[in-house]
Amino acid sequence: MKRIFIDPAKCDGCKNCTIACMASHADMTPRRGSLDELRQAVYALDLTDPAVQSRNRILSDGQGGYKPIFCRHCDVPDCAGTCMSGALEKNLETGLVEYNEDKCAACYMCVMNCRYGVPAISPDRKRIIKCDFCAHLEEGPACVRACPKKAIEVREV
Amino acid sequence: MERFVIIGAGAAGITAAKTLRAFRPQDVITVLSTDEQVHSRCMLHKFLGHERTAEGINFVPADFFEKNDIYHISGQTVTGIDTAAKTVSYGEGYSVPYDKLLIAAGSAFFIPPIPHFREAPNVFGFRDLSDALKIDAAFAGGKRVFIVGSGLVGLDAASALCRRGAQVTIAEMAPRVMPLQTDGYAASVYQKVFEDHGCRFLLGIGASDAVVDGEGNITEVILSTGEHVPCDFIIMAAGVRPRIQLAQAAGIRAERAIEVDDHLRTSAPDVYAAGDCTGLSGVWPDAMAQGKAAAENMAGVGTVYEKPYPFKNTSNFFGVTMLSVGRLDQTEGADVIVHRTPKEYKKAIVKDGKLTGYLSLGDISNSGLYLHLIKNGVDVSGKLDRIFRLTFADFYGINEKNGEYVYTV
Amino acid sequence: MSNCTGCLSRNTCPSADKPMESYIRSLPLETAHHRVEKQETKCGFGLQGVCCRLCANGPCRITPDAPRGICGANADTIVARNFLRAVAAGSGCYIHVVENTARQLKNTGLHRDKIRSEKALNHLADLLGVTGEDKYDLCVKVADAVLSDLYRPEYEGMELVEKLAYAPRVKRWKELGILPGGAKGEVFNNIVKTSTNLSSDPVEMLLSCLRLGVSTGLYGLQLTNLLNDVVLGDPVIRSAPVGMNVIDPGYINILITGHQHSLFTYIQDRLLDEDVVAKAKAAGAKGFKLVGCTCVGQDLQLRGAHYTEIFDGHAGNNYISEAVLSCGAIDAVLSEFNCTLPGIETVCEELKIKQICLDVVAKKANAEYIPFNYETREADGDRIIDEIIAAYTARRGAVPMNLFTDHGNKNTLTGVSEGSLKDFLGGSWKPLIDLIAAGKIKGLAGVVGCSSVAYGHDTLTAALTKELIARDILVLTAGCSSGGLENIGLMTPEAADLAGPNLRAVCKELGIPPVLNFGPCLAIGRLEIVATEIAAELGVDLPQLPLVLSAAQWLEEQALADGAFALALGLPLHLGVPPFITGSKLVTKVLTEDMLSLTGGRVIIDGDGKSAADKLEAIIEEKRRALNI
Repeated sequence: MKRIFIDPAKCDGCKNCTIACMASHADMTPRRGSLDELRQAVYALDLTDPAVQSRNRILSDGQGGYKPIFCRHCDVPDCAGTCMSGALEKNLETGLVEYNEDKCAACYMCVMNCRYGVPAISPDRKRIIKCDFCAHLEEGPACVRACPKKAIEVREV
Repeated sequence: MERFVIIGAGAAGITAAKTLRAFRPQDVITVLSTDEQVHSRCMLHKFLGHERTAEGINFVPADFFEKNDIYHISGQTVTGIDTAAKTVSYGEGYSVPYDKLLIAAGSAFFIPPIPHFREAPNVFGFRDLSDALKIDAAFAGGKRVFIVGSGLVGLDAASALCRRGAQVTIAEMAPRVMPLQTDGYAASVYQKVFEDHGCRFLLGIGASDAVVDGEGNITEVILSTGEHVPCDFIIMAAGVRPRIQLAQAAGIRAERAIEVDDHLRTSAPDVYAAGDCTGLSGVWPDAMAQGKAAAENMAGVGTVYEKPYPFKNTSNFFGVTMLSVGRLDQTEGADVIVHRTPKEYKKAIVKDGKLTGYLSLGDISNSGLYLHLIKNGVDVSGKLDRIFRLTFADFYGINEKNGEYVYTV
Repeated sequence: MSNCTGCLSRNTCPSADKPMESYIRSLPLETAHHRVEKQETKCGFGLQGVCCRLCANGPCRITPDAPRGICGANADTIVARNFLRAVAAGSGCYIHVVENTARQLKNTGLHRDKIRSEKALNHLADLLGVTGEDKYDLCVKVADAVLSDLYRPEYEGMELVEKLAYAPRVKRWKELGILPGGAKGEVFNNIVKTSTNLSSDPVEMLLSCLRLGVSTGLYGLQLTNLLNDVVLGDPVIRSAPVGMNVIDPGYINILITGHQHSLFTYIQDRLLDEDVVAKAKAAGAKGFKLVGCTCVGQDLQLRGAHYTEIFDGHAGNNYISEAVLSCGAIDAVLSEFNCTLPGIETVCEELKIKQICLDVVAKKANAEYIPFNYETREADGDRIIDEIIAAYTARRGAVPMNLFTDHGNKNTLTGVSEGSLKDFLGGSWKPLIDLIAAGKIKGLAGVVGCSSVAYGHDTLTAALTKELIARDILVLTAGCSSGGLENIGLMTPEAADLAGPNLRAVCKELGIPPVLNFGPCLAIGRLEIVATEIAAELGVDLPQLPLVLSAAQWLEEQALADGAFALALGLPLHLGVPPFITGSKLVTKVLTEDMLSLTGGRVIIDGDGKSAADKLEAIIEEKRRALNI
């Protein structure tokens, strides 16, 4: 399976991954998702709309460094292991923890159980917001490609 | 080839079946369930509120049994367990042999000994799809609903029926709604939102008697205050009891619940138990964890099941979301820190440098680490100034080999 | 080069000029085209214009979680402030250019120096209502009239505005309160406005952009051209070579970059003097040649009829300057303004090319600074010449040649201006108006401004231009867009074949290309004079004309100031990428929608040539309908 590896020492806190994530998910239509397409999507993002959410977060460590929080698609995922609707499932073939919005009952068991605090809730309280590895983009996770420091990269584990 | 039998198709039973199949690709796995179809009881309100169909509250894919090659004997009630012959009998004289058995029979709603309540045909639980179907039918006859208990189950039923225009009265013995998960303020927020949707709460009040019609149906509930509340039917949400009758009849040790050891083994050889019937915890995630651990042991993995931390829940009623972890009621000798703005309310209870309770009302995004901190007794004494803003960044660590996170404390 | 294979393996950005694309890709040196790839990741907050670093609390960025900066500024304030800052800086650039140009004219008069166009001088004097004792005195008076307006305080209105601008526009500007005060004061004041915790009013700041646009356009653009015409000569329509083929390695070649053609007045003549040519010959060269690059080259090309001996032609726009230098036959760069890319420095160093800078505002790190000073121009000029000869001697034979002799073409139509075009049409705009009215020409589009590379070198400019001419829309260009379009042949008469049937017939009949080359970006001012004169002849206001503007590949702050002028004129203005404004719904709405009711103009953002052309064509058709043609 693939996982986004993080080198926090390289992170400058520019949040380009955050904005790339928003741009990627502004439109879930399957597409190539080139950096150029993503840039066009960035122009159109409403950065004042709380419904525009990122699946990753860049947190300051309070000492000038940054701690990127990205879904690990854990080997033993707390979220899928506690989901009561079947919306979250670990795909054993791809290794991804997949989320099916239609199945989700917005009970937020996953929010409570993810020990790393990854899942967020939508402002309409009907969904969760969690990394899907940009499954709709042929070119893969937008965050990784948007990182100017290569602090995040997709690796096979 | 081993034969595994699982009684129950709830969180524990289904998780066990799935786990067993992962470990034992070739063995025979049979799931017996009273319910016709698998459903998540945490989503029953979606069915009752007509937001979803019965299929829509299935928490596994429709082809789960087929795809995993698991026999599902549904709509059949288990009638007995023969631990010597290692068989489970069900329905009208059928039986299935087992090499390893898991009892994941769940729990049943409890009706307190109030006159007429236990006999009245219009008193329902809200545990299973069959309950929801009965309520749905009753609702066609009248929309005045009396709910006993304002815990998560009672409020689930209330929210579903409010959505459909019911007149709901909820009696709660405690002085506030959701007494196990809330404090006074959080309870008041929920109370208000339910009242805004047409619910009436009777707090600190119980039902003490009832008026019945010729068929034994309760037409009025008589409160401890003497007030009469007319109703068309009643939903009992005043607690559950583990289903132990089968185990007891089979000579398996079970007083209040089925007794299990740290491998989730019962007193009978090759018989395991998981979920609500073990009385270890009443919440969904723990039932799943137990189902998984029991299955691993049945498959011979040797998993030690650590005692669950049952004091945890989230709720989401009418878009008001809350996360509640730990013992909010135990504040003796503890620091209680509160943060309140018009949009959010947070409360932390800290004892000896460790979090023992945490409540968050509002945007509960990214707050999963609080359960971890409380459950594991992580020291937060140096972080009290930002107790409501703790993130994994405060405990950040990376497993260099596989890229997963690890807690650094 | 120590690591050529590394360079070669790197990717370069696409160019509309395919031979140039291959040439650049094969270069053993790094150019902007190579650096695009490494800068592919753009900062999302920057793209939206919602990053603020005006104070030590910052940088603050607007996100859904953080809708205000620490000071409380919201996205609208931050975007408008950043935008106004850019427009003010861009205005400052053009005002600097017109200031130096006016000073040059004044010195020409004071020193009774060479005047190449008395016609232009008299026209300008008439326009400004200035009289003088003789032509030299007139130069001084005209220059003083311009300079005193530039130096006027911001709270005093500039006096020439009403003389330079079209009356219906002046009326509207008065109503909007956007008549500018002293042009330098406007820049100053608006920079103040955008500083920390000053203006937070996005609408007021956008109106200030328009005010800066008016001063930039009338002075920085229009007047600069008219002042230069006096000293440097009127544009004359002619056919000329363009592209890297203009470079003759037999000469000592000087690449000129910048925007202030008048600073070269002295040296471009001096280079032809016998004693100087003799020096070149002594060094082994046939003499000196100026090679054009960026807008100053474009301006020299425009007036090329007067400079056939010293100027062989324009090589290309800003973003091929590194490539031009890479050919090895350029011995020196004389620069005085932008767009002198910092990227040329490493190329110059590698190829031992002497860099001399004439104006400190464009001081390049490794350039020698020899400020242009009218009084010492002769001594300075000789020093410059000697240093260039020294560079020639030192480098020739020591550095590799990588000529690109078949690049470009030999027959680009140049020299088009408001004057030369009108003369070409027989002294009146009526023939053009008739062609437009008859639908032979559907409308006019000014494809102006810069060249950029981040999303392809001239690719959008070229795609849009081809789309427009195919729809019978006559394209007029000014700026680095000209440099790109001429090199790919769109300004040769043969390009008529790419036009729609009606425009093609017109072009064939008149022997002109479907894209007319007005030269440098300064000549956007000339386009606007053309538009104004046509409007006046028709008796309509500018927004009514079937005329659109596109700064498809706008690059820099100057372009935004130009754009602000276009909006003040009430013209539709297309941009290929948003000017870092989309983070504010208010600013975006004002610029793209509400502007219509303010000035009649509006911004249209579209990165695709075809769909942009669709939009511009629709606007032209709408305006035609409104004029009943």
